[in-house]
Amino acid sequence: MPGLNRREFLQGCSLGPPLGLALAGCARSPRARRESLVSVARAPDYGQELYGELRRTLADHRLNIRGKRVLLKPNLVEFEPDSPINTHPVLVHAAVEAFRAFGADVAIGEGPGHRRNTLDMAEAAGYFRTIPHFEDLFTDLNVDRVSQVQLSRPHSRLKSIYLAQSALACDLLVSMPKMKTHHWVGATLSMKNLFGVVSGGVYGWPKNILHWAGIPACIADLYHALPRHFAIVDGIVGMEGNGPIQGTPKHAGVVVAGRDLAAVDATCCQIMCIDPLRIEYLRLAVGNVDDSMQSIRQIGEPVHRVQCKFDLLPEWSGIRL
Amino acid sequence: MTSLLTSQNMDGGWPYQRGGPSWTEPTAYALLALIGQRPAVEPVARALRWLQASQRADGGWPPQASVRDSTWVTAVVALLGPIALGRAAHRNAITWLLRQTGEDTNLLMRARQFLMGDSPSHTFPGWPWFPGTSAWVTPTALSILALRKAAQLDNSPQIRARLDMGASYLLAHACSDGGWNYGAARALDYDASSYAETTGVALLALAGRHSAEIVKACGWAQSRLFACQSSEAESWLRLGLLAHGQLPVDNRVSMRIPRTVQNTALALLATAAAQGRNPFLE
Repeated sequence: MPGLNRREFLQGCSLGPPLGLALAGCARSPRARRESLVSVARAPDYGQELYGELRRTLADHRLNIRGKRVLLKPNLVEFEPDSPINTHPVLVHAAVEAFRAFGADVAIGEGPGHRRNTLDMAEAAGYFRTIPHFEDLFTDLNVDRVSQVQLSRPHSRLKSIYLAQSALACDLLVSMPKMKTHHWVGATLSMKNLFGVVSGGVYGWPKNILHWAGIPACIADLYHALPRHFAIVDGIVGMEGNGPIQGTPKHAGVVVAGRDLAAVDATCCQIMCIDPLRIEYLRLAVGNVDDSMQSIRQIGEPVHRVQCKFDLLPEWSGIRL
Repeated sequence: MTSLLTSQNMDGGWPYQRGGPSWTEPTAYALLALIGQRPAVEPVARALRWLQASQRADGGWPPQASVRDSTWVTAVVALLGPIALGRAAHRNAITWLLRQTGEDTNLLMRARQFLMGDSPSHTFPGWPWFPGTSAWVTPTALSILALRKAAQLDNSPQIRARLDMGASYLLAHACSDGGWNYGAARALDYDASSYAETTGVALLALAGRHSAEIVKACGWAQSRLFACQSSEAESWLRLGLLAHGQLPVDNRVSMRIPRTVQNTALALLATAAAQGRNPFLE
């Protein structure tokens, strides 16, 4: 993928559906390009200002969530509270408060990819001490009830996949990843974060079936299988270099949000100085990334004002913007 | 023990977390812990009926009743042995286990690895979590433990060969820091870090074997025993160290509270092993 030039890339992906996807719509049905609103907010740290910032973000996006079941899906990876490896608990708590303020019934769920003891990891990451009654709000998606979801026109080799029922049953799944580089797919953001709704109890730790079926293709398949989503990306302190586990902290000072995960991820890539056209899962998910990016209406801080160059492993130098 | 008994579901199975759906893995671990202590209690009979009803025609077990594939959980169930499961059910489970290998060691992949000059560790077929995927440390260790028990009744060449290859898989995947990661010891030219859970279960599976890797792994496990961040990690490390007679004399009481049924059962199993009764190895 990094070796592909823009012309080759565009030639290979000119037939896909547009990027703009409605909150409750069928993600893969061809339709006229729709505007995708993406907000970029400056957030220098994990202080109290985040609580007000997230309320403003939700107001900007005019989500109709009163009385709806909202599942916040952070990224929990490792027992390392001092590393920028997990979504920061203050951001998740701010999201809990913001969605509640708009009348939603909020829960939190995550199914980590390679560590099994999710609650212990959440404790180590500071979730218990930051979010009141965390254990009552939380579902370990790896051991939740499962449903077998048939994949229509999958990009991967999978015909179906077992997903956590809590993620399927909610009215809005809010992907809350950490902004990180990723040694297999270039960047891990709100779409890759959907791996956490795949059942570890069925597939194991790691969910190796996703690797065998093709990681970028599975990301695209999950994006289409879970259409009622929203993204809030923790780009306050992200990770650069050998992410998503062994990288180093990178302060970017932003929170990026939007209804369309692909639009949000493409915007995050630009902030990270990564060319979204060279991210394979974006191409698979939306087809013509270049064309689709024209449909993004960005509010808040302009990308060029918050851009910061995330270090890339040498083998990923080809995705540099 | 009370916590375990009160978290059993009405259908006879156990959930990972109280109130959740029944899953095969916590049910098998709960049974393993209970059978050693109260073999006649009614919950055991109900759980065994639940397990027996969910065995698939191919001999394996699905992780949850609604799943249509047999997976690694078959190894955990097989640890219950033929007396609990029934001779035919146990034999079929072992036959299913013997058919499983990591997809990364099939002929095509090995030829590719040879041509690419990849690590020879892929020569040894371990066991995958889910059929059709790569072998990993945990399912390999659990399958070894199940086959060790089966070999006490049927020490066939096929079982012996898989046991030897499984042990070789584990030894070839030891990390440079001493223990085991979930899979490869290196990824993208970076050393992988060892985890307590995987190191403990790998050491347990290597009980009775001797090598420099095992000595090093015991040292790593001893250094991490009192710094575990989960009850499961601590239980596996205790079980692993006990299997090699290396559990420190300073055997402090655990400060970690088990948060899942499986972890409660593992803590009971580790305690039983420390008292000389190890259901994984008997």
